[in-house]
Amino acid sequence: MSVSDPAADLREQLRALERAYTIGHHGPGAARRRAGLVDACLVDLFERAGAPAGVAILAIGGYGRMVQLPASDIDLLVVHDDDAAIGATVDALLYPLWDAGLAVGHAVRTPAECLAATERFDAWTAMLDGRLVAGDETLAERALAPVRARAREDPVGFARRLRDAADARRGRFGSSAHLLEPDLKEGSGGLRDVASLGWLATALGTDLESAGVVRARERAAVDAGAAFLVRARSAVQLLTGRRADRLVTELQPDVAREMGFIDEPGLLATDGLMRSLFEHARNVEHVAGLALARATAGTTRDPVVIADPGAILEALADAAEGGEVLSVGLLDAIEDVRIPDRVDWDARTRAAFLRLLRAGRSGAGMFDVLDRVGLLARFMPAWAGVRCRPQRDPYHRSTVDAHLVAAAARMAELLTASGDAGDPIELAAVAQVERPDAMLLGALLHDVGKIGAGGHVPIGVAIARDTLEAMGVAGPVRDLAVFLVEEHLLLPDTATRRDLSDEDLLLDIAARVGTPERLGALYLLAKADAFATGPAAWTPWRETLVRELVAKVQRVFDRGEMGEELAARLAERTERLRQLLDGEPEEQIDRFILRVPRSYLLAVDPARAAEHFRIVMPSLGRNEVRTMSSEGSRAGTYEVVVVASDRPGLLSWIAGALAIGGISILAAQAFTTEDRTAIDVFEVEGAFEPEITEARWRAFRNTLRRTIEGSISLEHRVREKGRHYPRPRTPSPVTIRVLNDVSEFSTVIEVGASDRIGLLHDITRTFADLHLGVHLAKVATFDGRVVDAFYVRDELGRKVTEHSLLSGVESALRERLEP
Amino acid sequence: MKLVTAIVKPHRIDDVKDALREIGVSGLTTTDVEGFGRQRGHTEVYRGAEYQVDFVPKVKVEIVVDDGDVDGVVDAIVKAARTGKIGDGKLWVGEVERVMRIRTGEMGPDALSG
Repeated sequence: MSVSDPAADLREQLRALERAYTIGHHGPGAARRRAGLVDACLVDLFERAGAPAGVAILAIGGYGRMVQLPASDIDLLVVHDDDAAIGATVDALLYPLWDAGLAVGHAVRTPAECLAATERFDAWTAMLDGRLVAGDETLAERALAPVRARAREDPVGFARRLRDAADARRGRFGSSAHLLEPDLKEGSGGLRDVASLGWLATALGTDLESAGVVRARERAAVDAGAAFLVRARSAVQLLTGRRADRLVTELQPDVAREMGFIDEPGLLATDGLMRSLFEHARNVEHVAGLALARATAGTTRDPVVIADPGAILEALADAAEGGEVLSVGLLDAIEDVRIPDRVDWDARTRAAFLRLLRAGRSGAGMFDVLDRVGLLARFMPAWAGVRCRPQRDPYHRSTVDAHLVAAAARMAELLTASGDAGDPIELAAVAQVERPDAMLLGALLHDVGKIGAGGHVPIGVAIARDTLEAMGVAGPVRDLAVFLVEEHLLLPDTATRRDLSDEDLLLDIAARVGTPERLGALYLLAKADAFATGPAAWTPWRETLVRELVAKVQRVFDRGEMGEELAARLAERTERLRQLLDGEPEEQIDRFILRVPRSYLLAVDPARAAEHFRIVMPSLGRNEVRTMSSEGSRAGTYEVVVVASDRPGLLSWIAGALAIGGISILAAQAFTTEDRTAIDVFEVEGAFEPEITEARWRAFRNTLRRTIEGSISLEHRVREKGRHYPRPRTPSPVTIRVLNDVSEFSTVIEVGASDRIGLLHDITRTFADLHLGVHLAKVATFDGRVVDAFYVRDELGRKVTEHSLLSGVESALRERLEP
Repeated sequence: MKLVTAIVKPHRIDDVKDALREIGVSGLTTTDVEGFGRQRGHTEVYRGAEYQVDFVPKVKVEIVVDDGDVDGVVDAIVKAARTGKIGDGKLWVGEVERVMRIRTGEMGPDALSG
C-alpha cells in the first residue's frame, strides 16, 4: 500500500486550482474551493492523528469565511479541553502542512482561553469567523458561543470598536477607494471592511438588512465589490508569488491584462482597472462607513420624504452643517427621488450646493455620498469624466475626482481661516477674498479637464464654463471661478521654472493675473491644490519660491506698474504692433515682442516700434551702431533711435556725441532688451539750425562709433565745446532724489537741473564712473529745465542698497552739475 | 573619478540638463535644496505683512565623471547656470574613491558609461 501524503496532495490540488483559472479570475468561487480543499486535507490529517476526543479543529479568519486566497495563511484554531497530549495532535496536523511548504497560522486554546483571547480585538474578530472543520462539535460551540455572546452583549460598543479599528486602518493604510497604490486588504474600502460587516452582523445577531443598518442595494454593491477585490488581490498574490496586498504601480499593467482590461480611447487598460477598483472600493468604504455609523448612532428608519433634486442637496447640506449621520430613511428617500439624467438647476439647488461646498470636510463627505448613489454626475454631467480616474504623475496620490473634492474642502478651511496661521501671505490673501463661492467652485473644478484627452487646462476651462452656466452661476463669480481653472498652474509653474528677478516676467504675470484679489485667489488655490495632492506637492522649497513670486507681483500692483488698465493697454499695443508687422516672419515678431521690455511697449508708439523692428532685429556687431531718424512730434524736431550693444557708459557716449554734433536733446527714453541691446530713443532739435542734415547725422554716428571703439575721448571734446557757450544766467538749483522703493529691481535717481550743452552726457557719465548701469531713462525738458529719471543697477544687476554708494552717487552728481 | 557638485538657480536647471546632455553626460542627480551664501536670507513683504525668508531655494546637481571629462562638465554647467546676477550658485569638484553600478556590480568607469 502506497503511503499517501494528504498535505503534499493538498499542495498539488492547490496548484491545479491555480491553473484552472487564469490569474485574473480567481474570485470568491476559487477562494471557496481553496478553503474546501484545505478542509478536506485537515479532516484527513485529523483522522490519521487518530481523531482524538476532546479536540476541535476550527477554521478562523478569511479561511473561516471560506475566502482563502492563493498566498494567504491557513488560519487554524485548535480547541482542546485541557488535554495534556494536545501537543502531539497539533504536531500531527501542522508538520505535514509545513513540510509541504504551506503557510499556516495557528493558535491552540481551551474554551476559557478563547474567551480570554477576545481581549485582543483582531483575535476576537478572527474567532467570530470561526467554523468547525473536524473534531468535537460541542467543544467547538463551547469555545465560540461565549466569543459571539460577548459581541452581542453590547453591539453598539462592539460597532464602535469596529469603527475605531477602521479609522486606525485608514490612517495607516489610506483608502483603497482613491489612492493610486491601494492596499486591497487593509485600506479603507478594502477586504477588511467587507469582513467588518460580517462581524457587525454577528454582534447584532441578525442580518444587517433586518437590523436596518444596511439597505438591500448597499448589500448588493458590497458583494460585487468584495468579488472584485478578491480577484484583484488574488492576482497580485499569484503574480508576485507572495502574500502581497498592495496593488503597486508596477503590477497594475499585468493585473489589468490578467483581469481582461484593454486600452480604450481616453482610458488605458491600467486606468480602466483602477477605475473599476475605485468604484468597487468606494462602495465598500461607503457602505461599511454608513453601517458602522448607523450601528453606533442608532439612526432611525423613519421614512423621509424628498420631493426633488434641490431637496436632496438641502437635506445633505443640513446634515453636513449639523455633523449628522445619514439615516437609512434619508438615503432611501434620496434614491427614491425621480431624478432626470440632467438636473435643471434653480436658485434653491444652487444655494444648497454652495452650502455643501462651504461646509468643508463634512460637505466633502456628502459629495462622496452623492457620488456613491450615482447622483453627482447628474448634477454635474462633467463629473463622469473625472470620476475614479487615476492620475499618472509623481505627486498625486488620489483619483481626479477625490482630489477635486479634497481641494474644495481645503479651500473652505482656508477661507474660514483654519488653515496655516503661520503663513502671512495666506492670511492676507484670505482677508481680501470678496467672492468665496467663486474660490470654492474654482477649487472644485480646477482639474475637471483631466479626462484623458490631452492638455487639461483649456479643456477644463471649457468644461468649467459649461458646468457653471448649467448651474446658473454667472457674472463675477463665474468669471473668477473660470479664471482659477485657467490659471491654477500659473504660480507654481512660474515660481519653479522662471527667473523671478526678471522684471518683465513679473509684469507679464501681473498683466495675466490682472488684480491683487486674483493674485491672492491663485495663491490660495495653489495651497489648497497642493494640500489635496500629497505631501510632495508643497515643500518649504516650493512654498518659498511661490511666495517670492506672489510678493513681487503684488508689489508690481502696489506701485501701479501693472494693473487691469495697463494690461489692457499693453495687450492692445502689442496687438497693434503685430498688425503693423504683418508680413514679417511670425517667429521674428514673437521674438521682438519677447526681447523688448514691457516699459518699451507701453511707452513707444506701435507705429514707431514697428519701424524700430527693422533696425533692432538683424544681429548686431559688437561695435556696431545703428541709427534711424524721422520727423518728431512737433515741427522742427526729430526722433532718432540709436541701437547698439549695451555697455556701461553707452548712454553718456550717445548724449555726448549728440552734443558734439550740434544736436540738442529735448527728451530721451533709454531701454535695454533682455539680451542687452540698448534701444535709446531721443527727441532732438538742431542746436544752431533748424534742419539736421544727413551730414550731421553721419558725423554723429562716426563720433559715436569711434568712441565705442575707444579711438577718441569724448569727455574732453564735450567739455571743450561747452566752454564756448555761456552757462545759463539764472541757473535753477540742482535737485537730486535717490529712490529705492519705486522699482523692484532698480534704484531710481531723479535729477533736475538747468539745461545746457552736454548735461545728459555729464549725468550719465557719473553713473558710468560709479559702475552703475542705466536700465531705463526718461528725460524731459521743460522751459529750460531738465527733469530726468534714471533706473540704475549695480554691476551684478541689483538695486543699489549700499548706503555709502547711494550717498556717493548724490555727491558725485552735485559736484559735476553744480556750477 | 570625480564628483562634480553644483548649486544652481532653480530656473537654470533645464538648461544645465540640456547642456550636459549635449556633451554626452548620461546621468545626473538633482535635489531641491535650500541654503544661503552671500545672497543671505531676507525679509519679504506682502500687503503689509512681513515675513522672514531664511534660506534661498536652489537645485543641487551631482554628477560622477571620469577624470578626463571633468573640465567639459564644469564648463557646461557654469555656462548654462550663469545669469551674471547674484545668487548664480557654486560648483565644486571632489575625489571619488569607488563607484559601482548596483544592478550589475560593474566598478569604476564601467559603472558610469552607457
